Amino acid sequence: MNENFKTADLSGLAQNLVAFAKSSGADEAEITIGDGYEFSVDVRLGKIENLVEAGSRHLGLKIIKDMKTAYATSSDFAEETLKHLIRNAIRRAAFGSRDECAGLPPTAPEKIDGASLNLFDPEIKDLDAAIKIHLALETERIALEDKRITNSHGASFVTNEVTTVLANSSGFVGSYDQTFCSLSVGLQAGGTDDKVEDYWFSAERFFKGLESPEEIAKKAVERTVRQLNPRKIQTQTVPVIFEPSMTASLLGFLFACISGMAVYQKVSFLADRLGERIGNEKITVIDDGLIPGKLGSRPFDSEGIPSQKTAVLEKGRLSSYICNTYAARKLKLRSTGNADGTGVSPNNFYLVPGSKPPQDIISSTKKGLILVRTIGHGLNPVTGDISRGAFGLWVQDGEIAYPVAEITIAGNLEKILNQVEIVGNDLEFRTAVCGPTIKVGELTVAGE
Amino acid sequence: MIAFEDHFHLLKTELEKILDTALSKGGDFAELYLEYRVYSFINMEEDIIKETAESISLGLGIRVLSGEMTGYGYTNDLSSEKINKAALSAASIASRRGGKNFFQFKKVKSKANVYAVSDPLHTTDLKQKIDLVKEAYLACQKSAAKIKKVKVLFQDHVQHVSIINSEGLISEDARPQAKLVCYAVAEKDGRKEIGYSGGGGRVGLGYFSQVLTPKQVGQEAAEEALRLLEAVEAPAGEMPVVLAPGHSGVLVHEAVGHLLEADFNRKKTSIFWDKMGQRVGSPLVTIYDDPTIPSFRGSYNLDDEGTVPRKTLLIDKGIVTSYLQDRLSARLMNLPLTGHGRRQDYTCAPIPRMSNTYIERGQDDPGEILKSVRRGIYTEKFEGGQVEDSGKFTFTISSGYLIEEGRLTAPIKQATLIGTNIDILRKIEMVGHDLAFGLQTGTCGKEGQEVPVGDGCPTIKISEMTVGGRT
Repeated sequence: MNENFKTADLSGLAQNLVAFAKSSGADEAEITIGDGYEFSVDVRLGKIENLVEAGSRHLGLKIIKDMKTAYATSSDFAEETLKHLIRNAIRRAAFGSRDECAGLPPTAPEKIDGASLNLFDPEIKDLDAAIKIHLALETERIALEDKRITNSHGASFVTNEVTTVLANSSGFVGSYDQTFCSLSVGLQAGGTDDKVEDYWFSAERFFKGLESPEEIAKKAVERTVRQLNPRKIQTQTVPVIFEPSMTASLLGFLFACISGMAVYQKVSFLADRLGERIGNEKITVIDDGLIPGKLGSRPFDSEGIPSQKTAVLEKGRLSSYICNTYAARKLKLRSTGNADGTGVSPNNFYLVPGSKPPQDIISSTKKGLILVRTIGHGLNPVTGDISRGAFGLWVQDGEIAYPVAEITIAGNLEKILNQVEIVGNDLEFRTAVCGPTIKVGELTVAGE
Repeated sequence: MIAFEDHFHLLKTELEKILDTALSKGGDFAELYLEYRVYSFINMEEDIIKETAESISLGLGIRVLSGEMTGYGYTNDLSSEKINKAALSAASIASRRGGKNFFQFKKVKSKANVYAVSDPLHTTDLKQKIDLVKEAYLACQKSAAKIKKVKVLFQDHVQHVSIINSEGLISEDARPQAKLVCYAVAEKDGRKEIGYSGGGGRVGLGYFSQVLTPKQVGQEAAEEALRLLEAVEAPAGEMPVVLAPGHSGVLVHEAVGHLLEADFNRKKTSIFWDKMGQRVGSPLVTIYDDPTIPSFRGSYNLDDEGTVPRKTLLIDKGIVTSYLQDRLSARLMNLPLTGHGRRQDYTCAPIPRMSNTYIERGQDDPGEILKSVRRGIYTEKFEGGQVEDSGKFTFTISSGYLIEEGRLTAPIKQATLIGTNIDILRKIEMVGHDLAFGLQTGTCGKEGQEVPVGDGCPTIKISEMTVGGRT
């Protein structure tokens, strides 16, 4: 540690702090630094509403002493502050309890080159603010050309550049750069007392990969106006078709239930069920941190474990939990490279697609509901129970008949995974957690 | 009272220079937000103190307004170069030539102090806080053999903010906040249920012996988990719903409060935008948002724009009377400030937010309210809710009871209520005289910003709501 602390490169800073922690009495130490640059513009009704531009850095540290763990974070990079936080963490660790599973992972033998994952678009840095503003304005302008749209929540263009640096006392030193960009628009249709709303977006690591303003606007308009003049329906049990974003939401809940943290704490209904069948043979779910260019890819996790491809559900059979080092030790498994802070997060977590186009799935449904949006909470990992407010489209004789609102859907994740009748072919990696259209045999839809 | 600490050491001349830079492109208004926050965290589970954490957040946000437009820059590198860059980023929202600015600073102070803290937690020894955690943990664990798992979290922070703007306002606030929460997992015959309880607010150590003890927190979480083990499925369909006092306040927060935030009305996306002065609900319904309730989680001496907040009457006997304002919306709508401009931290521009929102007490006897229902549900606690600008909302009941022939019978499991806010406001048939507030642990999210809030209500009967249980 020395006076050129501020100017030293971030990787050097991280290594210096690891050394300082060790020399101050820590058994093990891990330092993470995130250095980011953010640009965002929100436009509404043809005018800029907000423009944000900022750079910021954050540091996270983990100290282990006598198998006791203490954490700290800081946005203040003053040398005195960081030293103080390290000393404090070592002192605080003594107040903790000995934990046999605590500790850093042993150094990984292999290392994945961040560059091979294609996570960074150099074009984003040089993108002119005027272009970004124009794209947002253009997206909204096109959407508002449709006379059925009565108000706008605005359009946004966002870019992020982030450098992540990790060093630990097991000898790991690594860093990678990544970029994100997104373009979105939110719309309303209908009058004051019968408003409907929805939005659409495109999010990518590479600017060139973004959907055009026309595509985004068109999709947002279509998603909004199709909900106009909704009807209420009687409470009944019917087949339910999940649009891809709804399948993604279901998979997000599955992730919470197979997270090693929830499993070792036994607050998931899927605890102690490794190897069991929890869905039918149509269900294969993968977590893969190594798909080049995708939103959920990264070379290593927050503990320095290299990313990997993990089969979570194989033809309905629960084949792996998602673990960081701590959960893995608790469960006597191996880390799957999903550590994120003190917990786990998904990489690219997706349901493997089938072969049916979504239109064929709708055509094959005599009577049912297409689930297009849910709101509210209502997911219980302990039981797998789901209960949410929902918006949908009613299907009659293979065709969309009318929108429905003020309904709730209720079911159970395991039952749903066992009742999936068709898996669509329309998987797109629009978000890190994603899936294609699916049709579920039956669910309770509560209305009047 | 917690003394304000300045961690920025910016001279008046430097502040003027930053504001000048921020207005260099001709913005109408510039504002600096300087924040220093120290946060502490303790987690106990599996019978051990598993982790402790400490966080320091130090940074500066600069906002420039130009008409309806907002430019925002922030930095946590306090070098004059980076601060200047942030000021220029914010300035770029305007596109005229700025003139020379003269600032006459005047300190704005709140007369009241809502943080009545003599024993602040940020200076309390870690050992004492760990004792609180252990006490809650053991109380929960010992409640019953069926309690198989306990988790207790304790968080406290102190946030020092100063706000300086181009109208000459200088203000500072040092805000304490604490929260103790307990989760209990009860198990019987393979069935598991989670119970939850907690409390806190703008409080010091004394709160946890005088107002809410860790023992109570632990026992309440256990009781809820045990009760849920016996719970039956909620019925599905339309039926009368009685809201229990206190926790059910989340309904007023979600179903009404959000849509009275000024930004949604200025933009006409809220269904209330054209309803000022109009009747939107039953004459039994009066709703306030009050940031000045002493010690409450959602309270503050000054909002994040330096405005002294006031108790705001939102709905008066069913009639819309006020929106929740921040500076931008108040100016554009030509309405008075209410002191509801809040932000998560220095990286965010302020937006209109709720503080402590509640339905005022009514005349009815809670027992009579129950007696009036032949078959319905009684909602006791909610996991949370969500509202859209269209007024459609949901919230999820985490515990409640069936009402049969005017009496509470079986406890019910998780279920979702769905409705449209004006419809629900009209269907409020009875309002009890037993106003209470929910757990002091709530956080509200809007546009990616999380702020602490509180809510409350008396016993309320809604004639009909859609309940999504299972059939």
